[in-house]
Amino acid sequence: MTLIRHKEIVQDDWHYLQDGQSLKPSHNIVSLDYWLENKTRLINEKEPLGLTIPGHEEVDNFVDDLQYFSLIAIEFPTFTDGRGYSLAKTLREHYRYQKEIRASGDILPDQALYLTRVGFDALELANEELAPLVLNKLDEFSVFYQPHYTSK
Amino acid sequence: MYLYNEFDQTLVNERVEQFRDQTKRFLEGDLTEEQFRPLRLMNGLYIQTHAPMLRVNIPYGLLSSKQLRMLAHIAHTYDKDYGHFTTRQNMQFNWPKLEQVPDILADLASVQMHAIQSSGNCIRNTTSDPLAGVCADEIEDPRPYCEIIRQWSTLHPEFSYLPRKFKIAVSGSPKDRAATQVHDIGLHVKKDAHGKIGFEVLVGGGLGRTPVIGQTIHSFIAEEDMLSYLEAILRVYNRVGRRDNKYKARIKILVRETGLVTFKEQVEAEWALIRDSNLRLTNEEIQRVKSFFKPLAYETSTDDALKQNLANSGLFRQWFKQNTREHKQNGYRIVFISLKSPHRAPGDVTTEQMEHIANLADQYSFGQIRTTHDQNLVLSDVKANDVYALWQQLEKQQLATANIGTITDMICCPGLDFCSLANASSIDIAKGITDRFSEDTTDIGKVSLKMSGCMNGCGHHSIGEIGILGVDKKGEQWYQLTLGGSDSHQSKLGERLGKAIAKDAVVDAIDNIVQVYKTNRQDNEKFTSTLQRIGLQPFKDKVYDAH
Repeated sequence: MTLIRHKEIVQDDWHYLQDGQSLKPSHNIVSLDYWLENKTRLINEKEPLGLTIPGHEEVDNFVDDLQYFSLIAIEFPTFTDGRGYSLAKTLREHYRYQKEIRASGDILPDQALYLTRVGFDALELANEELAPLVLNKLDEFSVFYQPHYTSK
Repeated sequence: MYLYNEFDQTLVNERVEQFRDQTKRFLEGDLTEEQFRPLRLMNGLYIQTHAPMLRVNIPYGLLSSKQLRMLAHIAHTYDKDYGHFTTRQNMQFNWPKLEQVPDILADLASVQMHAIQSSGNCIRNTTSDPLAGVCADEIEDPRPYCEIIRQWSTLHPEFSYLPRKFKIAVSGSPKDRAATQVHDIGLHVKKDAHGKIGFEVLVGGGLGRTPVIGQTIHSFIAEEDMLSYLEAILRVYNRVGRRDNKYKARIKILVRETGLVTFKEQVEAEWALIRDSNLRLTNEEIQRVKSFFKPLAYETSTDDALKQNLANSGLFRQWFKQNTREHKQNGYRIVFISLKSPHRAPGDVTTEQMEHIANLADQYSFGQIRTTHDQNLVLSDVKANDVYALWQQLEKQQLATANIGTITDMICCPGLDFCSLANASSIDIAKGITDRFSEDTTDIGKVSLKMSGCMNGCGHHSIGEIGILGVDKKGEQWYQLTLGGSDSHQSKLGERLGKAIAKDAVVDAIDNIVQVYKTNRQDNEKFTSTLQRIGLQPFKDKVYDAH
């Protein structure tokens, strides 16, 4: 897995908590179910913490807890499922979420720019070979009819 | 008409390069067919029965003569010397080669045209009234708003992977000539008590497998709120529209399953959050776009010569009555160019014809051409005294069939001959109908006949006064007839006549329907009125007793 954040290939300090594994000291990305079951413990012990949700997750199911997350990973089950775009935009513009939102799952290099326009600032790539193409695609357009997202 | 500035041109040029790269990566095996599919569709490229099909946008149906010449050039250089106008005011080329498509797009970009989002699960070309700006009943010219919507929807990062395609139509007149009630969103220009411009917003209309008439979600959205309201509808649809079944993914199903009241609540909750955002249109921006659609430089002119010509020629008189309409400006006429001649498939036009039409537009109509959702063309601003000379020119090019609005002016999809979705052919049925009725098409009067080769309904069969739908029965082509549909201001879905009819009996069946109408009509009664008065039964009896 390769991570691109703000147009740069970067080292990923975060780990997804897999079923049956134990938590790392920090920088864990947990599922919504896990969060709901272990909320108190996680708040007290495991900062910074990330949450992973599928693109179709209802905002109401986690929005009250946004303050506890330093990262939200939105997973695309297939690249043609556009729900995650509206979810990211909603988190940025309605809930003023200012920390990292990353795209995970099935994303195409051709979608990188659109993702960053709606609020994603980090993209998880399936492999390192895709990185140059993705960086290239991030500069594919110099003009846009739609305003850039804003979380301010 | 709207002219690109440097910003608009840059975007279209960059889009051409993006697609060139995508095509290259596909051909080199770096993109799978599954990955390339939505990317090519978002540039209007289908893989059809014989070859790729490229659909080129004609925003709200407005073309310059220069643009039409470019379409002619493309038909000649990359295709088989013809193009096809669609029911959504666009043009399709049926025979381009995949590797040449980026070059075609570059040619289009050179005349401020593109194929962006002419297909795919995204916001499609915004369509409008072909008589916008020239009809007497207009509240406000809808085209500037269409252009604003075009820009907002073009390469929209959030709405490029919707559950399904999304179509918007805008009408500026009380009489709806843009079929807005059968679009995902229909906008009707209105003025409030203070003369302020806004829109009645309809949502959830559509044809296809489950034809639905759109419902009013808001009776008046002020013009400055147009984009934020559209964005609110799209965001709700993108979030909660069904993605589990492509036949239930259109917004009409969401509206039906959610209920209009609840759906409206969801939309307006979203709207409340974004209404005051940077989507609010400024008066400067509205006026900037409107400045491209100012009334043309009309001259004062009489129609003395026209009167003389009408008195002298019966053929001209017949064509004039059928194919021209009143213009809001005295001394001018609106002229329809029929693309429904016995010589070609409905909506088809040759390279040579396109070049001639472009020249005629330059000579007689301010260099502009409009496309209609009935698959015809319009020269909208012809001096009354020039109409006779124009008619003579059109005659020479087989473009003066006097049949606008009649049974031979039918809407027809490409059908099984080209389309990989179709169950049955449309073009040969259309030919049969044209051959049968050409002689007395004006005598039969105004009858809208619409035909689709499958239930996806590209030929709008469900809103034809006579609708024909091709179906597959154990590998054979059969046709389902419906009567009484309407695409006028009160859209209505046609009612099924009875069991499907074999291909070789379809033209006779239509003939029988026409005979029942002619026998029963009173005075100048329209087809639908006769049908309403006498009911479906006499038509059923005649059609099915004959078998």
